[in-house]
Amino acid sequence: MTEPSEKPAFLTSQKRNWPTLAWERGIKLFFGGNALVAVLVLAMIMVFLVREGAGFFRQNHANLQLYRSAGLEFVEPLREQEQTHIALSRYLFDLRVRAAEFYSNDEGLERGEVNARLAPIDDYIYEFNDAIEPLQSAVIDLSDMASEIKVEALIHAERQGAAGGPGGGVEGIPFDFQSARKPLYVFLPVYHDLNHQFADRLLALVTDYEVDWPTTDINARFERFRSLTKDYVQEFPAIERALSEWDGDTPVPGWKAWSSFLTGSQWLTASFWQDWYGVLPLFLGSVLVSGIALFFAVPLGLGAALYVNQMSSRREQSVIKPAIEFIATIPSVVLGLFGIVVLGEALRVASQQGWLEWLPGAPIAERLNALTAGLLLALVAVPTIFTLAEDALQSVPRAFREASYALGATRWQTIRKVIVPSAFSGMVSAVLLGFGRVIGETMIVLLCAGNRIAIPDFTKGLEVFIQPVHTMTGIIAQEMGEVVQGGIHYRALFVVGLLLFGLTFLINYIAQRLVRRYRVSLL
Amino acid sequence: MSPSGFHQLTAPLSLARRAEFMLVWVLRVATWTILLAGALVFGTIFFKGAQTVFQTSFPFVNVAFLTESPESLYVFEHAGTTYELSDSEFRAFRSSLEEAARAAGEAAPMLQSKTYVYAAGGIFPNIVGTLLLVLGSMVIALVLGVASAIYLSEYAKQGAMVRMIRLSILNLAGVPSIVFGLFGFGLFVIFFGWNVSLLAGWFTLAFMVLPVVITASEESLKMVPRGYREGAFALGATRWQTIRRAVLPHALPGILTSSILGIARVAGETAPIMFTAAYVMRDKLPWEVERFFDFFFQGVMALPYHIFVVSSKIPQNEYAEHVQYGTAFVFVALVALIASVSIILRHRIRANQRW
Repeated sequence: MTEPSEKPAFLTSQKRNWPTLAWERGIKLFFGGNALVAVLVLAMIMVFLVREGAGFFRQNHANLQLYRSAGLEFVEPLREQEQTHIALSRYLFDLRVRAAEFYSNDEGLERGEVNARLAPIDDYIYEFNDAIEPLQSAVIDLSDMASEIKVEALIHAERQGAAGGPGGGVEGIPFDFQSARKPLYVFLPVYHDLNHQFADRLLALVTDYEVDWPTTDINARFERFRSLTKDYVQEFPAIERALSEWDGDTPVPGWKAWSSFLTGSQWLTASFWQDWYGVLPLFLGSVLVSGIALFFAVPLGLGAALYVNQMSSRREQSVIKPAIEFIATIPSVVLGLFGIVVLGEALRVASQQGWLEWLPGAPIAERLNALTAGLLLALVAVPTIFTLAEDALQSVPRAFREASYALGATRWQTIRKVIVPSAFSGMVSAVLLGFGRVIGETMIVLLCAGNRIAIPDFTKGLEVFIQPVHTMTGIIAQEMGEVVQGGIHYRALFVVGLLLFGLTFLINYIAQRLVRRYRVSLL
Repeated sequence: MSPSGFHQLTAPLSLARRAEFMLVWVLRVATWTILLAGALVFGTIFFKGAQTVFQTSFPFVNVAFLTESPESLYVFEHAGTTYELSDSEFRAFRSSLEEAARAAGEAAPMLQSKTYVYAAGGIFPNIVGTLLLVLGSMVIALVLGVASAIYLSEYAKQGAMVRMIRLSILNLAGVPSIVFGLFGFGLFVIFFGWNVSLLAGWFTLAFMVLPVVITASEESLKMVPRGYREGAFALGATRWQTIRRAVLPHALPGILTSSILGIARVAGETAPIMFTAAYVMRDKLPWEVERFFDFFFQGVMALPYHIFVVSSKIPQNEYAEHVQYGTAFVFVALVALIASVSIILRHRIRANQRW
């Protein structure tokens, strides 16, 4: 404290008071500097996400270029061809399983008898499986060759890097992909022959052979198998054309590095063949899980806000509001644990009850799936939505309600026509912020969403809800601990983080704009 | 309130009234569904966890669980009885058997044991680690947050600068926790070279909770009546004197209680500390360091991360469940204690605050 001067403050010169003034200015500067920390942190988050993630697209481009140069891309259609054949075999085997079930369950045959009955079918399946063998061994050889080229190129690049300093002898000698790839092209005529044999064999199998299936249902499925196989065989010339037209020397365009990240359907890392960094399955997984959460949280949260704000008694309010605030403090990892040990199992057991069979997707196969995670996330979103929506309702001026009552409106009419429209923007922004909260939630999805990296199969209707999914937040938490610093995988995770950051930023921005623009006041 | 309860001479309820009546019930059910779901989670954790943390005989609390480090559990049969021993006990038991066998001149018996990681011992280092993380980040966040709030509410004039600060605060509040984890990892762990350490965790958590603390503090500062400030100014006090003597003392209880709620949320976060501060296992306690500065640069075990590890990284069985629920119970109790103190205090302060 300074002593009060004899003269009034406005008469004292500033010079005499300068220590106090400097002190005051210093304090103001200190507080102002602290206030800037928030800006600084936000800027630094962006800087560091970009800094660590920036190299990803260059590395991904090199990754894709190597995929092409080394000839892996050349072999890919063949591998797909093989995969499709395996899928067809599996379909066929599924028919056998159905037939076996029919024999043992409906006809009550012994195991040996069943096998005897199924013997011709088994022969047929073996024939179908074996048809691909010559082609398969060729594909394996080719895959090995391409992988070898890739490894050699990587070793070459590493040596160059090691000797790359000033005076390094081998600097600037690019790896000779063209000559390395030559053995691959030699395969083309061989493939032509093999492919023809394979096609003939398959067509003969599906047209000439009659298989004796026990039920009409299985017969119908077998017909489907036949047509699928025919379609499959019809694709062969296209594959051949693609192979002969393939050119390993055209450089991969730069935008591919971006598009393969944003729209790539595979997130495959530490694979012996080729790593893919496609964010689409993770993004859709996040959206799906958040969608489920909001499906439950929005009606509950908004309903509770309406109820507490408009209809409940004071006593009820004083219980509900702190209780919901309390729910907000449940740590997400504890909710995740609850999902693993209680909810997942409970849902599965419930879905196995006979009287719930009509539900889509029942019985649930996987204990941990999008629904389990979504339900728990709803519990995370509800307090956010409730609190903000309640605030919005609270800020509707009393006079609005009173005017409505004075005009003779009932309570329901007042709520529907006056209060909800006035608070609508606030309620929408509450939902948006709830969405932002849910999509950024990590531990629950990491523990309960099932962590299968695949695009959710939306063609299955409502069953999509019970598929295991992986999410953007989950993948960061799961893989960040085990990646090489500065590697492409490490950078890919930072880019996912950046995407997540941008997404929540956008959601926040829209929510804020909504509230500002449509705020209702008496003036 | 049911329609049948009315006197026979009262007019029957109109359709509109009936609809309204239904609506009230639908919304009431929705509200109580939420509370029920919350109660279900709490109830499960409480009842299952209590079996681990409490016991029926004296001293009624499972002291070992609260004061020991996590260890592996060895389950084996010997001489007809089944033993469940922790790592150290198991070794002692085996060597005692070997001693006895040597004295008797026989070959030592082989013990066929099954091992369950983390299933024995307790969670003492985790409790300590969480408390350290919370305390440190609380101090940093309160200093930064209260100072920012004072600037925003007492000094700042409306302008582009302040608008930017407010926008940043709002957006910072929406950044997902895992992004804070990435940021802390990139800045503190790698760029500053602090490695996985308490310090990195403190700052990551503090920055995460900053928006909550700033908003709560500003609200409390705004609630102090203008007259207090004007009175102080009229007496010739400078701005800082006014803030220190006339504003802060009245705002401080509000600031603290509201901030504690934010702190409780920080204590519950796992994602930000996964790569910045938490170790899966560490055999030294935080204060067992050689030099003073090492204290800040050591990773710690933390309750939330331990829950994550025991619920997803080890095989599920009854022993694992024992630890899962026990840890979750202690953790929830800790967080709930902090949160409920804050919620109750806040409601009381609001009720008592009459200017």
